[in-house]
Amino acid sequence: MNAKVRQRPVRPPGRPRYKGKAPYLFLSPYLVLTAAFFVVPFVNAIMLAFYETNGPRSRAFVGLDNFVFLFTDPIFLRALLNTTVFALVSVFIQLPLSMALALLLNSGGDKVKGFFRLVFFSPNLVGQVLVGILFSVLFTPRYGLVNRGFQLVLHWGLEARWLSEPRLIMPAIVLTSLWLWVGFNMIYFLAALQTVDKTLQEAARIDGASPWQIFWHVTLPSMRHVVVFVVIMSVIGSYQLFELPLTLLSESYGYGANDAGLTLITYLNYNAFRCGDLGLGSAVGWVVAMIIFIVSLIQIRLGRIAEED
Amino acid sequence: MNVLQILLLTLFLAFVLLRLLGRRQTASRFARWTLLCLGAVVVLAPFTWLLAAVFKDRSVLNEFIFLPPVEQWSEKTLNLDNFRALFKGRPSLTGPVYFWEYVLNSTVYATCTTVLQIFFCSLGGYALAKYEFRGKTALTLFMLGSMMIPSVLLLAPLYKMVVDLGLVDSLAGLIIPGMVGTYGIFLFRQACLAVPNEMIDAARLDGCGEFGIYLRLVMPLVRPMAAAFCLICFLGNWNAFFAPNVFLHSQDKLTLPVVLNLYLGEFRHDQGVFLTGTALAMIPPAVLFFALQREFISGLTSGAVKG
Amino acid sequence: MRFVSNFPYGRAPLWLLVIAVVSVGLRVVTARRHEARPDLVIVTHTEAQFDAYRKAIPRFERDHGVKVQLQFANWASLQARLQNAILAGTEVPDLSEVFAGSLGFFTRGPAEDFGLLDLTDRMRADGLDKRLVESRLSLWSTRGRVYALPHDVHPVMLAYRRDLVEALGIDVSKLTTWEKFVEVGQQVSRDLDGDGIIDRYMLDMRYDGNWALQVLMFQRGGQIFDQQGEVAFATEDNAQLIRWYIEQTRGPHKIGYECGWGQPVVRAMTDGLVLFQWAPDWRSWVFADEAPALAGKMALMPLPAWTPGGRRTSTWGGTGLMIMKQTRHPDLAWELAKYLYFDTTQLGERFLATNILPALKDAWNLPEFATPFPYYSNQRVGQMYAELAPEAPPVYSSPVDDAGRLALDRAYNRSAQYYSQHGEAGLLEKIRAELAEAAESVRRLARREKILAKGTL
Repeated sequence: MNAKVRQRPVRPPGRPRYKGKAPYLFLSPYLVLTAAFFVVPFVNAIMLAFYETNGPRSRAFVGLDNFVFLFTDPIFLRALLNTTVFALVSVFIQLPLSMALALLLNSGGDKVKGFFRLVFFSPNLVGQVLVGILFSVLFTPRYGLVNRGFQLVLHWGLEARWLSEPRLIMPAIVLTSLWLWVGFNMIYFLAALQTVDKTLQEAARIDGASPWQIFWHVTLPSMRHVVVFVVIMSVIGSYQLFELPLTLLSESYGYGANDAGLTLITYLNYNAFRCGDLGLGSAVGWVVAMIIFIVSLIQIRLGRIAEED
Repeated sequence: MNVLQILLLTLFLAFVLLRLLGRRQTASRFARWTLLCLGAVVVLAPFTWLLAAVFKDRSVLNEFIFLPPVEQWSEKTLNLDNFRALFKGRPSLTGPVYFWEYVLNSTVYATCTTVLQIFFCSLGGYALAKYEFRGKTALTLFMLGSMMIPSVLLLAPLYKMVVDLGLVDSLAGLIIPGMVGTYGIFLFRQACLAVPNEMIDAARLDGCGEFGIYLRLVMPLVRPMAAAFCLICFLGNWNAFFAPNVFLHSQDKLTLPVVLNLYLGEFRHDQGVFLTGTALAMIPPAVLFFALQREFISGLTSGAVKG
Repeated sequence: MRFVSNFPYGRAPLWLLVIAVVSVGLRVVTARRHEARPDLVIVTHTEAQFDAYRKAIPRFERDHGVKVQLQFANWASLQARLQNAILAGTEVPDLSEVFAGSLGFFTRGPAEDFGLLDLTDRMRADGLDKRLVESRLSLWSTRGRVYALPHDVHPVMLAYRRDLVEALGIDVSKLTTWEKFVEVGQQVSRDLDGDGIIDRYMLDMRYDGNWALQVLMFQRGGQIFDQQGEVAFATEDNAQLIRWYIEQTRGPHKIGYECGWGQPVVRAMTDGLVLFQWAPDWRSWVFADEAPALAGKMALMPLPAWTPGGRRTSTWGGTGLMIMKQTRHPDLAWELAKYLYFDTTQLGERFLATNILPALKDAWNLPEFATPFPYYSNQRVGQMYAELAPEAPPVYSSPVDDAGRLALDRAYNRSAQYYSQHGEAGLLEKIRAELAEAAESVRRLARREKILAKGTL
């Protein structure tokens, strides 16, 4: 008989469904607070995506018009492009740098390690807003620290207009984000490296594998949980990049010359809060949530595939 | 070719030399430490600039990268003017507001939110990790979904709610909506998953109440995660800008990032004072990180490693 | 210490708990008592104005027997707060100062839904529309109605290093048109020490257009929006202006260099890197404050005109005072607004503190406006600005103000990038095309705005 049995989620063996009230009680603070302070704004925001608004009174139902507007707006598409580029840079430049730093640091003594850990993590002690403002000063042509530094070492860049030349704006944002987050992710990788089985590495070395091969075939796979986690968090964070470009490019509300620094959330912020069109902002929120959801799914899938290797 | 370039070239040549001499081990150790030190220099450069800027007089702020040569040190180039301006009271209706009050506000906000979040999120995380109950998958999915919505969107309706509750312009209005966060629940869930079920079952057989198991058994086992979360939460709230910016109005209720931003007005750019405030605002998080380094790291990865 | 080591959550959370309890206690003990609900709340975002109003308000309170609360907030947070409050429908201050160009947010949608009080009739009744500089009303009007009181005129002059300019043998009284200015500028802007980097520029010009381009455009009579609020910057005149601007900032004989804000500007002026700076009245004060070492070495001159005999000033920015429709005491609020803005007994003192010329023409006769200003070589700065003020060009606003400015910048930057890659060939056509595209993008947004006005799709 080909009766299809309805699949039930497989429960780990030996864990019957709990009969008491404890889990509900434990979760009640979260549930109450979420219901009070999150659900209503959340539903509000979701519903608004189908309206065009200006405050509580003037509101017009426009159906999917907001979404149509978004996908035919070259500026929104630019924001999408910029944010995706930033996400790719995060994964393929920032994370390898973090990993490289973690590898370099892994073999030191404890005190030295602690010192360097503090050093590389320290940019995160300042908030994103203050970092943005600080760097907008450091990127000043001719007098800024970055310009002078580049000039000293590379004999180039004294006059580089990091924050007004369209081609340099995204690199400026990338440089600032590298300064901020390479150290942060390095800490994840560093701790994960410490759980890698040293005997496996020894065995590989004895077998004649080169350091690179050891890393790629032994170390990295043992760390894959952390790597996948960090990649996912990185991508989600990149798609929500907001405070940094907003404070770096404060004069153009985060857009930058020729929209070079525009990200999805800056676009949202501008349209929703400077223009008052919360409906359009909510539509952007939907798009961002969808993107993050899809990307996370893809990455989890890829992570599982890597696992099966 | 200036001094810096010569230095870099020398380091590189030294490395090449060591390799050629066949001293591979030494060469790689040399390269490793050189790269690390260079990286540290690059990362610390903005902070050094910040520290120097704090003491420089306004008129010479941009004249020297860091500090003027020692001969030129004088009242005109290095002074504590920035500190004086920072500690001078800011005008408000109820009299001048001093810097320590802003520090106090930030402290109240950050510590209270963190402490409350540790309590509520650990409760929730433990429940998600160790119990099977009806609606669990739905709830987990809801939590995941809620993390994907940009929080900026929720600011306006939340503001209305806080106003309706009469909590606007008060720290309580910031703390209460922020008492529980999904990120925290997931972190604690990861950590609690690592606790062996046998221990919990044994405790249950021993007659410990559910809350007792949570408090006396599980929590001590996830201390590293609690410490890690402590740091993350404190950092996030200490440096939070957008919500306090909108929710707090009176001068004497503002938190540090909001106040520092005020020094960069539309017409005047009081960069020196702003930078001084930033430097001072970094101290509490730095102290906390220093004290919690080890636990922070082990706590973070105890969650992530288990996947 | 058993308790410490047995605290379930660990050491750090325990310490934080202790600190939290202590700090809450401290906070409660040191909390200030806030007064009972005042009759009127007014918010300002400039320290100078905060000080001035603080001095002026007690008299108003006595005369009218009311309680007025003055608040201070910087513009970004004030704007965020007002916007959120209006969007959420919650309580807002009765009066608030606002920066030019931000009126658009408050005037979207149908007029009945504006958050602001329509001030046109009150102004006419008090005869203010005749006593104020007329071009300023345009900044604060939409659809023919006025929604905020103008605080200022902000005529623009050029501030320059008189000592360096004289040493170079330049006679500024001859720089009456931009053509002559550029000619002299090209001789002046050069690399002095042969290292390939230009050491002296004539004028501070922003690399990405922005306010510098707009100041020049307004001087020429160009507008971003016209009086009906329609997009108006895609004109041949503006295309020519953009080409001129690109030439002066990126061309082979450029005369412009971007100085930025704050300390870099001071350095540029002190080093003689840039000889001429844009100086609307408010900025003339800022220079004096931030670069005191240059006292006596600076001077002001009107802008060179675009055509012989043409307008020799422009305008940059502006502050206005708006009254929220939700106020419970509209008449009282109006009295307060008039008192703070147009009471001639205070305006002289305020000018001395900020150099800002008020929009009330009667005030310019006050003796304070004729004082010589030592920083600018004893020129009578007030009178100079007052002479130029009637010529200040109008600026028309629209609900999509910001988008208009961003679009203009976008057209400029794309054209400039084209120039960097292809030079002069086809530049003018490119500029025209970019302007047209930018105008279209603003119209798309304006169409959305109209949907709100009509209430349906």
